[in-house]
Amino acid sequence: MSKSTSTWWLVVVVTVATLVAMSRIWPPVVDEWSDADVAVLRSLWLGSLGELPPDPTNRVANDPRAASLGHALFFSNALSPSNSISCATCHRPELRFTDGMQKGRGVGQSKRNTLSIVGVAYSPWQYWDGRRDSQWAQALSPIEDAAEHGGNRQHAVGAVAANDEFRQLYEAIFGRLPEPGDARGTDMAFANIGKAIAAYERLIMPGPSRFDRYVDALLAGEEEQAPYSADEVAGLRLFIGKAACTQCHNGPLLTNYEFHNTGVLSFPGEVPDKGRAAGVRQVLADPFNCRGEFSDAIAGSCAELEFTRSGYEVLGAFRTPSLRNLEDTQPYMHKGQMFTLAEVLTHYNEAPLSMIGHNEAKPLGLNAAELLQLEAFLKTLAAPLATDEKWLRPPDISPGSL
Amino acid sequence: MISGMIRFCMLLLLWLAPSLVLSHGGVVEEEDLCVIKVNYLRGHFKIYQPLIDGHKEYCEDLPNATETVFVMEYLHDSLGEAAVDFRIIRDVTGKGRFARWEDVAGIDDLEAVTVLYREPTVDPDVLTVIHDFREEGDFIGIVTANVDGDQEIYRAVFPFEVGYTGLGYWPFFILLLLAIQLQYFVMSGRLKRWRENRAAAAIVALLLLCAPISDASADEWVTSRGVYTVSFESSLEPIEINQIHYWILRITSDGEPVTGASLTVSGGMPAHDHGMPTRPRVTAELGNGEYRLEGMRFHMGGDWEVSIEIKANGKTDTVVVMLTL
Repeated sequence: MSKSTSTWWLVVVVTVATLVAMSRIWPPVVDEWSDADVAVLRSLWLGSLGELPPDPTNRVANDPRAASLGHALFFSNALSPSNSISCATCHRPELRFTDGMQKGRGVGQSKRNTLSIVGVAYSPWQYWDGRRDSQWAQALSPIEDAAEHGGNRQHAVGAVAANDEFRQLYEAIFGRLPEPGDARGTDMAFANIGKAIAAYERLIMPGPSRFDRYVDALLAGEEEQAPYSADEVAGLRLFIGKAACTQCHNGPLLTNYEFHNTGVLSFPGEVPDKGRAAGVRQVLADPFNCRGEFSDAIAGSCAELEFTRSGYEVLGAFRTPSLRNLEDTQPYMHKGQMFTLAEVLTHYNEAPLSMIGHNEAKPLGLNAAELLQLEAFLKTLAAPLATDEKWLRPPDISPGSL
Repeated sequence: MISGMIRFCMLLLLWLAPSLVLSHGGVVEEEDLCVIKVNYLRGHFKIYQPLIDGHKEYCEDLPNATETVFVMEYLHDSLGEAAVDFRIIRDVTGKGRFARWEDVAGIDDLEAVTVLYREPTVDPDVLTVIHDFREEGDFIGIVTANVDGDQEIYRAVFPFEVGYTGLGYWPFFILLLLAIQLQYFVMSGRLKRWRENRAAAAIVALLLLCAPISDASADEWVTSRGVYTVSFESSLEPIEINQIHYWILRITSDGEPVTGASLTVSGGMPAHDHGMPTRPRVTAELGNGEYRLEGMRFHMGGDWEVSIEIKANGKTDTVVVMLTL
């Protein structure tokens, strides 16, 4: 072999080795989604959200008259004895029905961060700890919470009776209001107030975001038309892959409605919150639950309540919130412990040991660039609500004492 | 010669270490856990100073006079049923690390030196107490469990220091570790064993690669000892995540339907180290070896295992049904 041939071979070998090494250091940008990826993206796409599920516990869930009454009650201060608090005090429509505060504030300081009601009709559990199992049972709790409406059922039923508008709407749906002093009748009427509010809340639905339009384009085979930057695509790839977000934030509302301990630090001045471990005891004892006498469900149809888990496994666990409309719903976590998405992503990247119970999350090992990409993707989930504007403000009819 | 000296140092440290670790009250470090013994009842004790140190976990001595969260997780269920009270006092016993309940009982006015007292409370999940330490100093924690009415009272006493700045026992542990490491290196045959281990690892890897991959789409599942054959039909077809549904299980043994079986069901995702979000159970036997299994829900895409233990006619066997969602 001549000297020049062996030099030539050396050049070839070195070039190939360099290319191989570089491809390992800088892998080519993958723009293609595999079939499995597309299946995952389709499952997260708003187009996969099925019909609004029926609420067998609430016979007026889909009654438009009940929604009108619920709409009026939702924005009315009359249900609070101080005449100063309504559901909309904390669930502000312009903030995706949250309040922008760490913890809710009614007549006093509430214990947890206000959750959005957008799309919540799909969830089998309400509240961070699932201590209520229907929207109507949830709607009743703040009315009797000393820190929220600060009232009670007698006052609430009396407030409906005292307002002509409310009374007419109520009696057209549910029949006569009880006489004052009729304890059982008052309980029934109180449950009906919750059911009307739930009929209204069921109408509050998320609209398509830039993410959904991206998947629209992908499914139509027009990926080049897709409205996403390289960072957003990379963030989405992390979201369904390395960052393991879809372990809990799955399905078209980006939540599995389940309870998970993710090791969030306790709130200053408080012991760690027990979350679902305590919530499960409360929902089982709630007289307004699916199995209770005020529920319209037929016997044996309360599977979620019947087969839920309890104990150490759900100690310090909280319900996975939807990631739709993140931009208006900070601060995040069950007591609003985190103010920015960067704090949240850093927390999941580190996955510290939980103060109580067991943190199910594992450290992710994402670098700063990847965290930025993930955040860029999360911001594409912002979207207007898919609900008629008239439901997002107080009703035109006089809601009584405001 | 050198090896002999190292051995001597190690023995010396080993002889010293237990007395150092075990000499102070009820909190004992066991394999990184801080275990408190309330008589024979055991709890895992953790202390946090979240405002300053976030998730950092302490066992007893605390670096700062600040808001402090005490957490005791029960290693014995009885603690979750007992009325447990929790008291922190300033250490006026003069015994420091060696203070015991007898010393605390000898204090004339316990209330006067108490900085925190939580009334006896039954806490089924975990004991949590918060206290804002305003000053540094020596303190004693006392956990009292009233297990059976007023009959039996168990106590654990653990002295601790707030504003603790010393290095504690770390230098001893580090020395011990270094000595062990050194001894290990000095010993002959290390390299040989390493090579053997590598060969063994290669064999294990090969075996893993060659292991039969189970067919996840199988319609029938045979229990691990071959006693029963199980098939199922889901009320939700195909099975989707986040939807509660039920299964009809069909169990046969040698082709004959199995009736009167008692079934225990659990499930989870082995890759993620968690169970199912529900507690499914058999609610009805439908005859002809069929059983209604209610409360099925899967909350994540991926590989799931559902384990069904079947007990019938004195024979117990278990099947693991594998699903990919």
